Amino acid sequence: MIRATGASLVYRDHEREVFACRSVDIEVVPGEFLGILGPSGSGKSSLLYLLSGLKMPTSGSITFEGQDLHKLNDAQRAETRLTSFGFVFQYPYLLGYLNALENVMVARPEPGFREQAKALLFSLGLESKQGRLPHELSGGERQRVCVARALLGEPKVIFADEPTANLDHANGLQVVQLLNQHRGDGSLVMVTHDPSMLAEADRIVRLEDGHLAP
Amino acid sequence: MNPLGTPIYLRRNASRTLPLMGVIVLAVLLICAIVSLINSIPLSVKTIYKYTSLMMGVTPRGEADRTPQIKRIIEKECPVPIGRLALCRASSTEVQALVGKWQFVVIAFDRPDLEYVLKRMGTTSLVGRLPEVGRPEAVISEPVSRNLKLKLGDILLGPDRQDAYSPQNVKVVGIARTSNWFMFADREYYTMNHFPPIDFILVTAKNPARQAEMDRWALRRFKGDRTQVISYLEIERQANEMFKTLYKILDVVIGILVVVITLMMGMLINIYLGQRTHEFALLQALGYSTKTLVTRVIKETALVVIGGWLLGVICSIAMLNVVDHWLMYPNAYALDITDRTALAYTIPVPIAIFSAALLTLWTRFRRFDPVGVVERRLV
Ligand SMILES: Nc1ncnc2c1ncn2[C@@H]1O[C@H](COP(=O)(O)OP(=O)(O)OP(=O)(O)O)[C@@H](O)[C@H]1O
Ligand SMILES: [Mg+2]
Repeated sequence: MIRATGASLVYRDHEREVFACRSVDIEVVPGEFLGILGPSGSGKSSLLYLLSGLKMPTSGSITFEGQDLHKLNDAQRAETRLTSFGFVFQYPYLLGYLNALENVMVARPEPGFREQAKALLFSLGLESKQGRLPHELSGGERQRVCVARALLGEPKVIFADEPTANLDHANGLQVVQLLNQHRGDGSLVMVTHDPSMLAEADRIVRLEDGHLAP
Repeated sequence: MNPLGTPIYLRRNASRTLPLMGVIVLAVLLICAIVSLINSIPLSVKTIYKYTSLMMGVTPRGEADRTPQIKRIIEKECPVPIGRLALCRASSTEVQALVGKWQFVVIAFDRPDLEYVLKRMGTTSLVGRLPEVGRPEAVISEPVSRNLKLKLGDILLGPDRQDAYSPQNVKVVGIARTSNWFMFADREYYTMNHFPPIDFILVTAKNPARQAEMDRWALRRFKGDRTQVISYLEIERQANEMFKTLYKILDVVIGILVVVITLMMGMLINIYLGQRTHEFALLQALGYSTKTLVTRVIKETALVVIGGWLLGVICSIAMLNVVDHWLMYPNAYALDITDRTALAYTIPVPIAIFSAALLTLWTRFRRFDPVGVVERRLV
């Protein structure tokens, strides 16, 4: 479904070139839970941004359902991200002036998704907190709101970049389990440096210094 | 309701949007007030001397015996049909304007002329009576009575008054209801008591619409002569000339005001947009295009700016109404409370602020990297 072919990402750090990804070949299969494991600085986040169309590969290509993501214009690429992808970031970013339910709705603001958003909050154990503003929620609750936001609209792929990094182990595991349980037919691509978070993964790849390890 | 809609943002962030609106309201209020009050000065000149647009005065300079000659010239040569030609006497007095005292003339007529002129001035009714022949009495118009706080029986001119001299106390015996300003007295009393003994001539065009034409002819005909033509055209021209410099200063002041307010607002908007960096980055990462986000912010800004301007205009009109009611009308000072030019002067405010907002928006989104923000590498 998503295929990276010879994808490289090079950052220019002063005059030095930093290879965050070196000709990576990888495919995300529909419905799978793909874990990406690697030490800090190995290029995990960079790979995730490439696969999700948030960054342009310096060379190589990324396709989603056969369509080269970087041949789309900004609006089309954004539309793909909004309707087909879901995101959970390391920091639970929410809009401070919107309550939990409204923050979930940000992923799909059409009124038709309201009931689904409520149902998601319910199944994530947040039904009594849907009217609260982010500063009235705990860190774990905030991250669960982010999970609900990523799940809304049944995206084809959910990208999660260290979603557990700011949580204690138990809360972290819970977030991963919730993502895995509620993703339906969607794929889950999760980046982490903690192997214990990937117990339920269908497949795990390792990154080392921008390379996929065999 | 769409959580990213404009109303929800403006309402939930009232602590940011209201101060922005407040500054715009104050700016509009300030500009409207300054321009309206300054405009009220030339407007006062035109209102106070408006009566001269209904008749023309011609007077010899120095030599009293030139009057019959001038009269003959007008009767023979004036191309505009004459409504009435009256011989009168005059003395000077003052009225109170917002910026100080202004010269005004008490004109003394023969009784038939007085009746004609009162009608010409648009008098709808008279409280009291007309001055009796040979008596120290005067009829004044309603705005004059308000301006000088004169009631029936009060003294308009008197022997111990420097600026409103007459050998005897001249009493107000009539107040004429009309918007024009005038003070009229009896000619016989003037002929017997006032100096200099010069008759001057008041001429009206038969058709009031042709008064200006008559004035232009007289100004041309008596140019270089030892004759003075008193016409509304001249008064209007002098007023416009006199206030030219004032308006140049006004333009500079308002220009500076707009620039200062725009800079302030630009900085505020820039700070507010800076505080929203995380919001923009998150939304962009989730799948909102730059165009969508920029459109959203433009809508929010436009609503604040246009709303602030409209509110400012409403407040200005309300404030000018209050000023008019409490300060201007009781003294018969002229004030246009829906002054178009004052409103026009406020239009640069929203436009400049909106342009500043667009500029800051453009510089912010030109090289915006949502990943950098989401990763917390940049804030
Ligand atoms: N904007 C940037 N400019 C320069 N170098 C960068 C930039 N972003 C990342 N890098 C470098 O690219 C490499 C990969 O970074 P990346 O963020 O993908 O690592 P990571 O595996 O996600 O690390 P972590 O586990 O700490 O999040 C690192 O060496 C990093 O220093
Ligand atoms: Mg990372």
